[in-house]
Amino acid sequence: MKHSHLDALQTFTHKLTALLVMRAVVQMATVWFFVWGVFVLTMRISRVQHTEWLTLGVFGFVPIAILAALRERRRQPAFANLRANYDRLNSCGGVIMSEEAADMSAWVAQLPKPAVPKFHWHSGRPLLLLGLSALFAATALLLPERLTKLGNNHSLEIGQLVGQLQAEVKTLAQEKIVDEKKADELQKQLSQLQKDSSGYDPNKTWEALDHVKQANADAAKQAAEEAVAKTESLAQAETLAKAMQQAAEAGMTEATASQAAQDLASMLNAAKLEEGILNGRIPPELLAGLNGLNKEQMEKLLKALELNKNSLGLTVSNLANLKLIDAAMLAKCQNAGQCHNPGALADYLSTCTNGCNAEALAECWRLGRGGPGGGGPPAPMLWDNDTSEKDQKFQEHALPPSSHLSDAQLVGVSKAAPELSANDVSAQHGALDNAAAGGGSVHAQVILPEHRQAVQKFFKRDN
Amino acid sequence: MPETILKPEELQPAAELARKTLEQLDRILLGRREVHRLVLIGILSRGHILLEGLPGLGKTALVKTIGQILKLDFNRIQFTPDLMPGDVLGTHILQETSSGKRELLFQPGPVFTNILLADEINRASPKTQSAMLETMQENCVTLLGTTRPLPQPFFVLASQNPIELEGTYPLPEAQLDRFLFRVMFDSVDADVLDEIISGRRRGELPAPTWQMERAELEALFQTMGRIYLPRPVSRYIARLVSATHPGGAEATGPVNKYVSYGASPRAAIAIAEAARANALVAGRPSVGFEDVKLVAQPVLNHRLILNYQARFDRMTTSKLVAELLGQLDETGLNLPKDVELAKA
Repeated sequence: MKHSHLDALQTFTHKLTALLVMRAVVQMATVWFFVWGVFVLTMRISRVQHTEWLTLGVFGFVPIAILAALRERRRQPAFANLRANYDRLNSCGGVIMSEEAADMSAWVAQLPKPAVPKFHWHSGRPLLLLGLSALFAATALLLPERLTKLGNNHSLEIGQLVGQLQAEVKTLAQEKIVDEKKADELQKQLSQLQKDSSGYDPNKTWEALDHVKQANADAAKQAAEEAVAKTESLAQAETLAKAMQQAAEAGMTEATASQAAQDLASMLNAAKLEEGILNGRIPPELLAGLNGLNKEQMEKLLKALELNKNSLGLTVSNLANLKLIDAAMLAKCQNAGQCHNPGALADYLSTCTNGCNAEALAECWRLGRGGPGGGGPPAPMLWDNDTSEKDQKFQEHALPPSSHLSDAQLVGVSKAAPELSANDVSAQHGALDNAAAGGGSVHAQVILPEHRQAVQKFFKRDN
Repeated sequence: MPETILKPEELQPAAELARKTLEQLDRILLGRREVHRLVLIGILSRGHILLEGLPGLGKTALVKTIGQILKLDFNRIQFTPDLMPGDVLGTHILQETSSGKRELLFQPGPVFTNILLADEINRASPKTQSAMLETMQENCVTLLGTTRPLPQPFFVLASQNPIELEGTYPLPEAQLDRFLFRVMFDSVDADVLDEIISGRRRGELPAPTWQMERAELEALFQTMGRIYLPRPVSRYIARLVSATHPGGAEATGPVNKYVSYGASPRAAIAIAEAARANALVAGRPSVGFEDVKLVAQPVLNHRLILNYQARFDRMTTSKLVAELLGQLDETGLNLPKDVELAKA
């Protein structure tokens, strides 16, 4: 074979192989870019933000392309086929192909001029797809983060509610109603809840928020009830202490003073200020020497009692401001243990010569009963409570259910009224038997004998 | 595979003989260049040819001229319905010898020749057609237990008239398969007709200026036997014939739709031989794909049996073969569909 034909055949073989390899590389790169783009998008939507290795993954097409190239080289067409194609495309009439059997160099002069056959790859579509897939992968990588969250960005507008709950938790923590650790945990849970809230599943979020709200309310209510109890005890103790102070100046006997001091001690013990959620504190030296408190110590005690009461009041007020407790509870706390007749108690203590009993002291807190000195001050006229509706309004009773229509039984349908026999003309039995007009609550029309024929005739008419 | 591939100096005399033959044919019979080439290819392939065309188109003249150029005996049989096998093959007649004895002597029929023109072969009865076609296949005649070989080379050039089909006996497909080519004899154009009218009084053909000697013809056949058929080309022929069978691996849609029975192995042999002859006529020592494509149409167009759907859709074997040649990849390279090869 003429050397140039051999060269042309070799060139043809190499070029065709290169074209097929390039085609395979383009195909594999297209697939890789598309797959990687989908993967990147999935990762980003799933909030996996390791952008570096996601970016580096794009270059994964290189080994893929190398593998594709190697595979395509292995699948390279047989040389005999390529030679046959070269022969055909150069119109060599089988002379080049006959090289398989013998040396055809003698015929080279009669062959056409050697030329490398052209090949055309319709690359428009594959290259377009490659471009699109590369663009897709790049877009997936460079897409702004806010857009990657579009898929799960249907979060609920719960910022205000969460803020309110966080303020509640903060207040509860500040007031020592909830311990710091639990409060921190709740704050984190609320933040996470706000982040994870999704419009696709709002029930979960709302249930969690309701749970936190209910927990806050329960804790606040418990604290408020405790505050009411303690405030009541403190107020009573304060009233008694003030009365003791006044009575001491008025000449209270020692026995009475001792009895009152015991009562005061029992009140303070009953208050259990150091226990519970809202713990307060009375200086122990004062508590220990309640029996023999001088004026100055009494002042200190009063001050400590007031301080504790105010502290409780402030706590309850804060809870009320956050609407964790209602106004009634706030008022209850503010009025707890309020004595409406403190002067009577002082009078009683000063006049009581042989000690005093607890029942007599308790009378001082009762409204409108006057003091133990007889008579007492007039009962205050209060307008803050609603008037009882007892005996002023009918009591509502639910009626028993009526018989259902479904229980009725259909015995037939007639066009006209049922035909009555002579015996059936008047009701013979039942509650309305012989009922007279105007004689009762039911109006019964009695048909006179002279009218019966006319009535029967009326009901017998056709249609 | 031949022992050695022909060298240019070995092939050149044979190619020259073929060229001269074609030149004489083209000079004597005007406007039939392609038919002349196919007929010469058929003769070189030692095949029989079925000429199909209207009367007066020069079928007889062609056969006669070939006989003259090749210096071969020529006989003509006009087939008719009452033609008997004896009229074709020959018969025994009772004859008295010089010694007074009577004996049956064989009187050879017109089939004992080198080139036989079987004119309007479809007008003979099946019996006669059968006797005729047997000689084509066997190249001999057997009568009363005696086999007599026909003179070599023996070619039959049969003609068929595509019109006036009343009273004819169409050749069965099995018999058609014995013809190497079916060549369509079309009308010539006005220029050729003008040349015939103006140059030839009463249509008389000019005498050949060159004739091939018998030894030259034998040398031509020997050279023909050394034309090399490359493996990819033989593979292509095999795939092409296989693709004519409906349901075949490479059968095209139209083949599956319209063909009842594809071409026989005899068709593949015929294509290979004819392609060799075409390469020889073209002066090449080996067969190329273009040789196959050139001879595939006349080899295959009478070998495909179409179904009724093809008749309804006016589909012809020629169209089917052309479609098949266009669709089938010659080398079986199986390149992706978006990659195309083209000439430089």
